[in-house]
Amino acid sequence: MFNSINPKSAVPIYRQIMDQIRRGVAAGTLAPGDQLPSVRELAAQLLINPNTAARVYRDLERDGLLETRRGQGTYISADASAMAESERKRIIAERLEEVAREVRAFALSEEEALRLFRDILNRRGGRKDQR
Amino acid sequence: MSENGCAIVTESLTKRFGRKLALDQVSARVPRGSIYGLMGPNGAGKTTFVRCLLNLVNPTRGSARVLGHDVVRDSVAVRQRVGHVAALQPLWEWMTVRQFAEFMAGCYPRWSQEAVSGILTRVGIDQGDRLQDLSRGQRALAALAVAIGHEPDLLLLDEALTGLDPISRREVLRSVIDVMHAEGRTVLITGQDIAAMERICDYVGFLIKGRLFWESPLDDLKARVKRIRIEHPGAAPPEVPAGATKVERGARETQFTVTDYSPGLAEPLAGPGRRVEVVDLSLEDIFVDLAQPQLTAAGPAAAPAQV
Repeated sequence: MFNSINPKSAVPIYRQIMDQIRRGVAAGTLAPGDQLPSVRELAAQLLINPNTAARVYRDLERDGLLETRRGQGTYISADASAMAESERKRIIAERLEEVAREVRAFALSEEEALRLFRDILNRRGGRKDQR
Repeated sequence: MSENGCAIVTESLTKRFGRKLALDQVSARVPRGSIYGLMGPNGAGKTTFVRCLLNLVNPTRGSARVLGHDVVRDSVAVRQRVGHVAALQPLWEWMTVRQFAEFMAGCYPRWSQEAVSGILTRVGIDQGDRLQDLSRGQRALAALAVAIGHEPDLLLLDEALTGLDPISRREVLRSVIDVMHAEGRTVLITGQDIAAMERICDYVGFLIKGRLFWESPLDDLKARVKRIRIEHPGAAPPEVPAGATKVERGARETQFTVTDYSPGLAEPLAGPGRRVEVVDLSLEDIFVDLAQPQLTAAGPAAAPAQV
């Protein structure tokens, strides 16, 4: 279910796993009621510190994306599907934030930036996302 | 951090071998339940540090406590609760893996053959094989399996990943993760395999020229050490903050690494015609940026402003 993580990335491992689960919910590959591996299984599967795995689950539970049923395990929460829409927007907004910084740095006008973005959106069979 | 919350506490631990200062006033805190990565270039003092904890080396000055015991006065108590694996440690070559485990079991009041066999079986080591017939990776795994037989509260892995093939390295990491699952267990791992250490460590210490140059949670290290890149075509170059390292000054671009980053730090650097970019660094980048200036400078390592 999880992609492998990249320990050499500057993005902390904690963030990488967190983003994978959020992305899964946004894309619908993780749906309410789906069971996640236990902390121990996740740590062994990804070869990461069990404390890191536990922290990811704890923080996503706090955000309402996951729920832990005592003695049974960790599941995608019932509320997660309601959050999928906002997660999708959040992920796109994060990416656009980066682009906006570059737009300002290069002093591109708003019209030019929006026209570029519209062109890219409308381009069919365009280049694949490189990330 | 309080001493109670620590598996290892050293106070100004110093070791001199003749004219060489192998450890220079090391005051380390290894929190219980952590996987602590002690990193440093060759000859930085990592192995001497580990050997001091096991009372295999007598400190010249300073003290060390492991799980609450003084390592010199209570060395027997320390050994009962600590597991140790060193790279290329001599094993009794003629013994079978089973004989080796039985021999080690006799050294401890309690022993879990189940824990030992669990690892050996999972990684496919036949206990009837002689140690001399095992591959380098299998030897490391056999040594690790036997080192946890007495169910230690602290595991010391000294260069245990060094020179292993990728599959054996994964198996060692996997076993360490399994061991860690037991509540409150602590692992200290030394070595240079930064990518592997970045996976499993939640605490890091950098030892450079015998001095503990940095110690913090891995996440804090990554949050505080950043590369700042400023593009300033046609504008005056910014003032580089004091304490910045790896400074590269160009006509239109300036770069440096800071060890005390906060979002407020970048603001005064910006200005008309200047574009400031804060670049996240991998552990390997951080290690190089912090260690290199120390290694090329003469004299003892100087600690950054705040550790």
